[in-house]
Amino acid sequence: MDALLHFLPQVWFVILALFLFLYIMLDGFDLGVGILSLTSSDEERRGILMTSLGNVWDANETWLVLMGGALFGAFPLAYGTILNALYIPIFIMIFGLIFRAVAFEFREHSSRKVFWNLAFGIGSFLAALGQGFALGAVIEGIPVDAAGHFVGSMWGWLDWRSLLVALTLIQGYVLIGSTYLILKTEGELQKTHFRTAKLATYTTLIGALTITIATPIVYDTIRDRLFSPPLSYIFAAIPLVGIILVWQLLKGLSAKNDRTPFIWTVLIFLLTFIGLGLIIFPYIIPNQITIYQAAAAPSALVFMIIFIGFLIPVMLFYNTYQYIVFRGKVVESAYGED
Amino acid sequence: MDFFHNTVALSRSQFALTAIFHMLWPVLTTGMGVYLVVIEGLWLRTRKLDYYHHARFWSKLYVLNFGIGVASGLPMEFQFGTNWAPFSEAVGDFFGSILGFEGAMAFMLEAGFLGIMLFGWGRVHPVIHYFATIMVAFGANLSTFWILVANSWLQSPAGGEMVAGKFIVSDYFQAILNPFMVRSVAHMFLATLETSLFVIGGISAWYMLRDRHTAFFSLSLKIVLTIAIAVTPLQIYVGHLSAEQVAERQPTKLAAIEAKWDTTPAGDTAPWSVLAIPDPDHGRNRWELNIPQGLGYILEFKPELSHTIQGLNEWDAGDRPKMISLIFYSFRIMSGIGFFLAGLMLISVVQWLRGKLSPGTITAQKWLLRAWLFSAPLGYLAVETGWIVRCVGRQPWTMYGEIRTADAATNLPPSTVLGSLIAFSVVYTLLLLATLYFGRRIIRTGPNLTLPAPDFDTHPAVDPTPTEFIPDQRAVELRR
Repeated sequence: MDALLHFLPQVWFVILALFLFLYIMLDGFDLGVGILSLTSSDEERRGILMTSLGNVWDANETWLVLMGGALFGAFPLAYGTILNALYIPIFIMIFGLIFRAVAFEFREHSSRKVFWNLAFGIGSFLAALGQGFALGAVIEGIPVDAAGHFVGSMWGWLDWRSLLVALTLIQGYVLIGSTYLILKTEGELQKTHFRTAKLATYTTLIGALTITIATPIVYDTIRDRLFSPPLSYIFAAIPLVGIILVWQLLKGLSAKNDRTPFIWTVLIFLLTFIGLGLIIFPYIIPNQITIYQAAAAPSALVFMIIFIGFLIPVMLFYNTYQYIVFRGKVVESAYGED
Repeated sequence: MDFFHNTVALSRSQFALTAIFHMLWPVLTTGMGVYLVVIEGLWLRTRKLDYYHHARFWSKLYVLNFGIGVASGLPMEFQFGTNWAPFSEAVGDFFGSILGFEGAMAFMLEAGFLGIMLFGWGRVHPVIHYFATIMVAFGANLSTFWILVANSWLQSPAGGEMVAGKFIVSDYFQAILNPFMVRSVAHMFLATLETSLFVIGGISAWYMLRDRHTAFFSLSLKIVLTIAIAVTPLQIYVGHLSAEQVAERQPTKLAAIEAKWDTTPAGDTAPWSVLAIPDPDHGRNRWELNIPQGLGYILEFKPELSHTIQGLNEWDAGDRPKMISLIFYSFRIMSGIGFFLAGLMLISVVQWLRGKLSPGTITAQKWLLRAWLFSAPLGYLAVETGWIVRCVGRQPWTMYGEIRTADAATNLPPSTVLGSLIAFSVVYTLLLLATLYFGRRIIRTGPNLTLPAPDFDTHPAVDPTPTEFIPDQRAVELRR
């Protein structure tokens, strides 16, 4: 039974990490494309950008809803405390996602598209910004009392470190959005995004390096974990692998390859995510609440494995199927209505 | 207590506001999804082009509402954490799991097949397309199921008990099958269907009143009417069953619905108030219009009540709902609409049997068509007022008899909640106006009757390998 008390929260930590990764990767390129749309030169291009997401944005956003529900069920204490502390960034994100979503529906029928273009671009930006601040604040840690309830201020999430994380995340989204567009478009539009991808690679890299260097200096608890074996070997390996991946990405971009930039970017996201996961584990709110303290009753975790866990392969299957049906380049701005 | 400095009141207002607005969109898409399954099935069976054009036309309105439904629904889930953290912590084991199931089973299924349903017409075989349409409708209704499981559990908690401020679940399946669940799910399922039927019927009537595509839209009116023959009376019956359950398990809500201040002992008769002006300060109605012995007839079809009906004065003011007038009139609006729509269905069926609904004669039925047009928004009103009865009537409890709303709210600074409440009010009002504006535009443009149907015989661009795909999907969904 004791083993189960440890094992079940760990299983849910991994499942939630999977949901969050899928969300950051999939809606990451949606939001990146949205932010990039702000720089699009004409209506036709913007139309193609939105068409490339038309059939997938909703499913991609659903990973966030799923992660929220699963976090609520598996770690109720963390759900309440984190969302309470991050009230403002969460609602910035939600309003951003609302603007982004309705732009898809309304722009198509509108004769004055400027307004909905802005809703799409600014909505995507706000959503990414809110997520970045939330991520930054969680990594920094959230002040809690003995019972694990939030005790800080409503603006505690806002400082230079969370701002740095937010800006880096936005760059990352622009990067994965650019490489997605390289995959889905051709001609002049694709050329533009080879350029934006390259630029975003450098800006993301600068942000990631600053965070990597600043984290062990600012947080001594993380420093202790990072520099003691066996984690020290893994944390030594991550930057090395990261350098190889970025080098491959830049090579793919220079060679004007259609597919490899997206794949390398996904791998860079995955590597960063694994690094983050290892820093946070076994905490769910770093250095305050462990997954074991925040976990729901073991019975609830088993109950959820039955109804959610077993569905994960099925969900992955039909989501992949949808991508296969709509594979190939988007050449015209048509939502496919008629 | 000043409203603007009261976090609980502000958080409640925000939840109510977002729920009231959000509901408008999925109510239509859930019911219309079923209608689209019917229409597309008819097309596959008969290969008549009209059915195909119906499927394409109504799915335009469908997608407009779907996207807004997804967007406006996001804050519903997150508010449990942001504004109701103590509640989330207390009931997360069960309530949180159920929201997770809704995401994994319902939302994901809907979203995963929506792209194919909307944009896949030329890309996949029509049978695969039909499968996608079924999955989208099935997903939406699964969402109704799980949300009503969760809400019914708050109305009639089961499957465990509160221990030191946390609900400890002893039997998850008993919690799912809580006393309110079956009837509530049925009531809401029928509500989404009925609302959508009368929206579709009302829009069809609008075209026929202008004699635009009359033959085309008399078809949709007849399909709607055929389904409504079963749905409207059944809904009244299921509604009655739900009221019986309220009478049995939620005495404070029943007393509020009927604005009954004084207790009626078993064996006595009690009047039923059609109208009343409740006066909570003095614990009585200032004025009422009564049907003698009516309450017994409404609850049990006989004059004498077989159980004691407790009046509101039995409880302290803090232990019963506050907004008695709102609950009283919401209930009457909801049930009145239920009977009105059933009546409209009856009259329409009579006219149909008399041969007055054929394309040549239907445009002469001005008043009937106007009644259908008038009925288009009524379903929404009934759904909204019904939920007001359900959730305002449950007060002062969030979880009936277990967790008080005042104890469920996060202790946030009122100014923060006020800020998000104002933002939601503005944004959601704009969303509603924009939906109406663009919906009107779609309706004015009308159906595209020149669209060629997809080919059945040539191979589609992508081979979807249906033989492996369909059984795989169903096997897992059936495990539910």
